[in-house]
Amino acid sequence: MDGEEWYGAAYKGSKKFNQWEIPTANATGFGAASDDYMERGIDLNEQLIRNKPATFFFRMNSDAMSGAGIFSGDVLVVDRSIKATSGKIIVAACNGELLVRRLKLHIKGITLLSENSQHKDIQVDEFAAYAPWGVVTYAIHPLG
Amino acid sequence: MPFIPWAEAVYTFYMKAIVDCNSFYCSCERLFEPQLKTRPVVVLSNNDGCIISRSDEAKEIGVDMAGPYFKAKPLIAKHNVAAFSSNYHLYGDLSWRVMETLRTQLPPGCVEVYSVDEAFLNLEHIPLMQLSQAAMQLRETVEQWTGIAVSIGVAPTKVLSKIANRLAKKHKQATNCVLVLDTKRKTEQALQKTPIEDVWGIGYRHAVKLRGLGIETAYDLARQGPAWGSRFLGGVTGERLLRELNGMPSIEMEDPLVNKKMIATTRMFGSPVSRLCDIREAIATYTSRAAEKLRRQRGAASIISVFIVPKEDSHQTTFRHGPSISSYTSLPAATSITNELIKPAVSLADRLYEEGKLYKKAGVMLSGIVPDHSIQGNLFRPATDSNARMLMSMMDNINFAMRDDVLKFAASGTERNWKMRQDLRSPRYTTRWEELCQAK
Repeated sequence: MDGEEWYGAAYKGSKKFNQWEIPTANATGFGAASDDYMERGIDLNEQLIRNKPATFFFRMNSDAMSGAGIFSGDVLVVDRSIKATSGKIIVAACNGELLVRRLKLHIKGITLLSENSQHKDIQVDEFAAYAPWGVVTYAIHPLG
Repeated sequence: MPFIPWAEAVYTFYMKAIVDCNSFYCSCERLFEPQLKTRPVVVLSNNDGCIISRSDEAKEIGVDMAGPYFKAKPLIAKHNVAAFSSNYHLYGDLSWRVMETLRTQLPPGCVEVYSVDEAFLNLEHIPLMQLSQAAMQLRETVEQWTGIAVSIGVAPTKVLSKIANRLAKKHKQATNCVLVLDTKRKTEQALQKTPIEDVWGIGYRHAVKLRGLGIETAYDLARQGPAWGSRFLGGVTGERLLRELNGMPSIEMEDPLVNKKMIATTRMFGSPVSRLCDIREAIATYTSRAAEKLRRQRGAASIISVFIVPKEDSHQTTFRHGPSISSYTSLPAATSITNELIKPAVSLADRLYEEGKLYKKAGVMLSGIVPDHSIQGNLFRPATDSNARMLMSMMDNINFAMRDDVLKFAASGTERNWKMRQDLRSPRYTTRWEELCQAK
């Protein structure tokens, strides 16, 4: 993922941990041998949130990106600190609407590609009110 | 070495900055509604009473700051202004994001959060020559990460940085929202452009007095000596203000973690209230809220005061607060336990209440705050106390996780007839799953 080299793998999530919160087998009065190997459990925030102050959640409300695995009702993780470069799936403010599309920057200008044949690609003309809002880094999709 | 006239002399000590969000509440509303980008926006105070934030476009068409909403309504309709009730959940979250972004960009301890939309920065680690560029970059990072545009004023003192910030905001095009006062000449020019009432710390009364003495701008004021300031602007504060205006730091960076000495919760009622039971419910609710804030800073209060504000007669058209009726009591021992605070608060309210009057506002204030050492247990208080404290921390945890005060004391009531009006509130985009911003 982009930005990885800048922010590293350092935990930037929301929870504070200390060693006392790690459950131990204290019932016997002796620590269990496995205590020495205890570590903090996996926290989804570590994986999904690289830069907390710049990360926002959205709700997808169309099937325009179903080809990219984003379906209506999914939660989108959007990082504003990542630069919107060509090929990224972004949230874009376009003529007053917030759209999720794949960004294509080319010599003729900007195109917002949809990944569903039902939706047309959007050619952003120079008079359009267009601004990239943030880069979609994950889509959270419920199964079943 | 080229000759440097005194006026170009560069400051030799470290610089401070103030970062101030541009029309903060309006910017928050615009972030998730891009179609508002070109429309004027205003945000209303609690109860939709007054206008508390205006976008530049709204300022231009002449919407008054802090003016009552009903007065501005015709103007708002005519210019298609978007009006919002205040959405403090959203503003609080975005404020945290702005401050956190600043903290990630600066060494530890260099950010002093001054208000919801302002922070003082200590820039001693940045060489003078790079200040302007660094400030510009800071501004861009904050806007990129959080979507909130900020202005930055940089100067050797807090008062001067406020002046720089005001000018940066006023001349957005020319300054790009960043103004650095790194030479005496620039500072002088900035002072000349600042009317006296726009100096940080000069209130309306002082401004009138100073104008009477022939002092019109910050520059006129800066030319007076500190002794003069002490005489005309209230002792030490005035002296400090004059030193600061002359580029001598005398208001230092404060520890951002200083605990409050007083905690107050006050609100307007949604509509005027006359029944005692409604007032008691409101007082109990505000007390719970204040106690929660108190526990968050690990304090215990020894004085509680309650006030209720009656509604003025309807023929009165001026927009001002009527006299408030207040009373206080000292508690036998400092406490942070909600029910120990509700009891005296409600009995104070009972005493203040008069049958047949209409009330429009009430509030609770906790003071005499001492650190609550007994959180760790105390030999001299009965053990039952720690149970109450455990109960409180459980209640706080549950309310924090579940939101909307799922756990509360029965005294706070369930009907809440007095609750404030917020007809135009936007969704809580950043704090509630069910209110996330929709994208297509």
